[in-house]
Amino acid sequence: MRFWLQRVAMAVLLLLSVSALTFGAMNILGDPLFNILGPVAGDVNNPDSVKLIEKAKSEFDLDEPLVVRYGLWLSDFVRGDMGVQFSSDGQPPVSDLIKERLPRTATLVLLAQLMAIAIAIPWALATASRAGRLSDRISTMNTFFLVAMPNFALAIILKFVLSIKLGWMPLTYVANDPLSSRLWQMVLPALTIALPVAAVFQRLLRTDLITTLQQDFILMARAKGLSRRRVLFRHALRPSLFSFITVVGLNTGALIGGSIVVETIFRIPGIGSSLVESVLREDFPVVLAIVMIVAVAFVLINLLVDILYSIIDPRVRR
Amino acid sequence: MSDNVETELLLEISDLKTHFRTPRGTVRAVDGVSLSLERGKALGIVGESGSGKTILSRSIMGLLPRSGVIREGSVKFRGQEILGKSTKEMQSVWGREMAMIFQDPMTSLNPVMKVGRQIAEPLMLHLGMNKVEARQTAEKLLRDVRIPEATRRLDQYPHELSGGMRQRVMIAIALACGPTLLFADEPTTALDVTVQAQILELINEQRRDRNMSLILVTHDLGVVAGFTDEIAVMYGGKLVEKAPTKVLFERMKMPYTEALLESIPRLDQPSHSRLAVIPGRPPDLVNPPRGCRFAPRCAYVRDRCLTEEPQLTVAESPDHVYACHYPVGSPEYHERRVELSKASTAVGGSN
Repeated sequence: MRFWLQRVAMAVLLLLSVSALTFGAMNILGDPLFNILGPVAGDVNNPDSVKLIEKAKSEFDLDEPLVVRYGLWLSDFVRGDMGVQFSSDGQPPVSDLIKERLPRTATLVLLAQLMAIAIAIPWALATASRAGRLSDRISTMNTFFLVAMPNFALAIILKFVLSIKLGWMPLTYVANDPLSSRLWQMVLPALTIALPVAAVFQRLLRTDLITTLQQDFILMARAKGLSRRRVLFRHALRPSLFSFITVVGLNTGALIGGSIVVETIFRIPGIGSSLVESVLREDFPVVLAIVMIVAVAFVLINLLVDILYSIIDPRVRR
Repeated sequence: MSDNVETELLLEISDLKTHFRTPRGTVRAVDGVSLSLERGKALGIVGESGSGKTILSRSIMGLLPRSGVIREGSVKFRGQEILGKSTKEMQSVWGREMAMIFQDPMTSLNPVMKVGRQIAEPLMLHLGMNKVEARQTAEKLLRDVRIPEATRRLDQYPHELSGGMRQRVMIAIALACGPTLLFADEPTTALDVTVQAQILELINEQRRDRNMSLILVTHDLGVVAGFTDEIAVMYGGKLVEKAPTKVLFERMKMPYTEALLESIPRLDQPSHSRLAVIPGRPPDLVNPPRGCRFAPRCAYVRDRCLTEEPQLTVAESPDHVYACHYPVGSPEYHERRVELSKASTAVGGSN
C-alpha cells in the first residue's frame, strides 16, 4: 500500500514539474503578447493598438508575475479548463479542441499498440524457438528492414499497395463518418505505426525468450512430456515479459508524438497535427495542454506497467 | 529389492554415443556406453563433472538439444528401440514412463506458476484427469513426499518454499504419473547436508513402493553406496568400471574408482587433514587422449596406458567389468603403491 502511495506521489510531482517547466519555458523564451496580437504588440504609439494590448493583457493576466499566472493556469487546468487559444480568435476553447481531437489520436495509438503486441508476441515465440535457424535469420532481416524504414515511407507504401492498388482499405479518414467506418479507416494508419514498433518489441521479447528457454525449468517442463507449444506458451512466455511490458509502457508516450506523420498522411485530425500547428504558431495554451495530456498518459501507463509486473511475477508482489 | 516378481529387463543400452557439434570440434560427451537395468533396480552412475554422466542420463531419456547432437547406438526401453524416436513420439514417454529429478530445485521449478499447477500438469496431460481430480492427486502426491500442510502448498509459488521442500515438489512431479524409470541427476547436490539424506531416503522408499527403476547420477560414491544395486563409473565419456554395489566397494579395480572413493572426506580421519584430490582436469572430449583416458592423471600410469586403450574386461565375478591394464591388486599396482607411500612419507617428513 505504502509503495503505491509513493508511486502516486511521484506521479503527481512529475506532472507538476513537467507543467511548470513547459509553462516557464514558453513564457520566458517566447513573448505571449506578441503571439496573441502579432505585430500589433510592438505598436505602442498607436492608441488603437494600445487599447488592444491593454485588453489582451487583462484577458490573459499578462501583468501578473509568472508564478501567479502558473497558479491560475494550474487551478483552471485541474478543473478541466485549458484556457483560450491564442490563434483562431480563441475559438474553440482549448478544452473543446482537445475533446474533439484526443479520441482520434488515442484510438489510433491504442489500436497501433494492440496490433504491435499482437504481432510481436507470436512472432517472437516463433523465432525464439528456432533461434539461429534460417527462418529466424530471415525474420531478423525483416526486422531491420521495418525498423530502418522511415514512417512516412512505410505509410506511403502501405497506402499505395493496400488502398490504391488493391482497394482493400479506405484511403483517408473522414471525421463525419459513423464510428464503425471510422475505426476501419484507422486500421491502415495504426498498422503503419505498429509494424516498426512490433519489430522492436519482437527483437526484445525474442532475446528474453531465448534466455528463458535455457533455464532449468524449461528442461523440466520438457521432461514432463509437454508439447513444444505448451512449453513456449505456458512456461517460457510469462517469465520473459518483463522488459517487454516495460518498453511497451515507455513506448506509448513516444507513439503519441510519432503519430504526427501518420496523422498527416492519412488526414486524421488528431492531437499530433494540432501539436505541430500550435508549435509553429507558438500557440502556448494548446502546446501546454497537449504536453500535459501526453505526460498524464505516460504516467498512467507506467503505473499500469507496475501493476502488471506484480501480476506476471508473484515474487515482486508487495 | 524383493525378487518375487520375475525380473524384467527394463532398459538395455548398447554402444550409446552422444556427440555434440561445436565450433571447436566434435565433443564426444558419451562415447560408446553399454548398460542394462532391470525393473525395480537402482543403478548409480558416478563420475566427476565432465565425465559425461549427466549427458548419458539425458541421452538415454532423449532429452537433448534439438540441433548439433549426434546420437548413435541403441537404447531399448521395455524391449522397444527408442533412440530414433522423434521428440513428438517421446513426449508420451517423458513424464509418463520416464521421469527426471533435476539437480537444482531452486531453478528447476517454474517461478511464476503455482506448485499445484506444476504437479497437475503431467496428470492432466498423460492421465487425462480433469482439474479437480488433478488437484486432489497433486495434494496426495505432496503428502506422499511428506510435505506438511499439503493443501496450502498447492497454491504457493516455488519461492515460498525451502530448498528441501522444492526438491520434494520436484520428486512429486516426477512421480506423478507413476513412471517405471526414474532418473535422479545429482538430486541432493544443491541441498543442505541434513536434508540430503532425507531426500535420498524418500527417493529410495518411493522406488521400492512403486517398483520403479532408478538411475541415480552423482559425483559422490558415498551417496550411491546405500541406495543402489549396481554402480557404473564413468570417465571421459566412457564406462570404466561397473559392478554390483557391494562387489565394487569390496574389490574395485579401477584406480580412478579408488581415487574417487579416497576423495570423500571421512569422519575417521583426523580433523584438518588434507583432503585427497585427483590431480589434473577431466580430459578434453574433443581430442581425448589416445590410450586410457584417465592415464594422464593416474598415479599408476605406465607406458602402455598412454598408447593402448584398455577394453572392458570381466573381473572375478561375471557382473563386474573394468577397463584398466594394471587394475587395483595387480603386481604393477602394488609395486607403484610401495613407491608412492615412500615418496609421500619423504615429503611428509620434510614438512
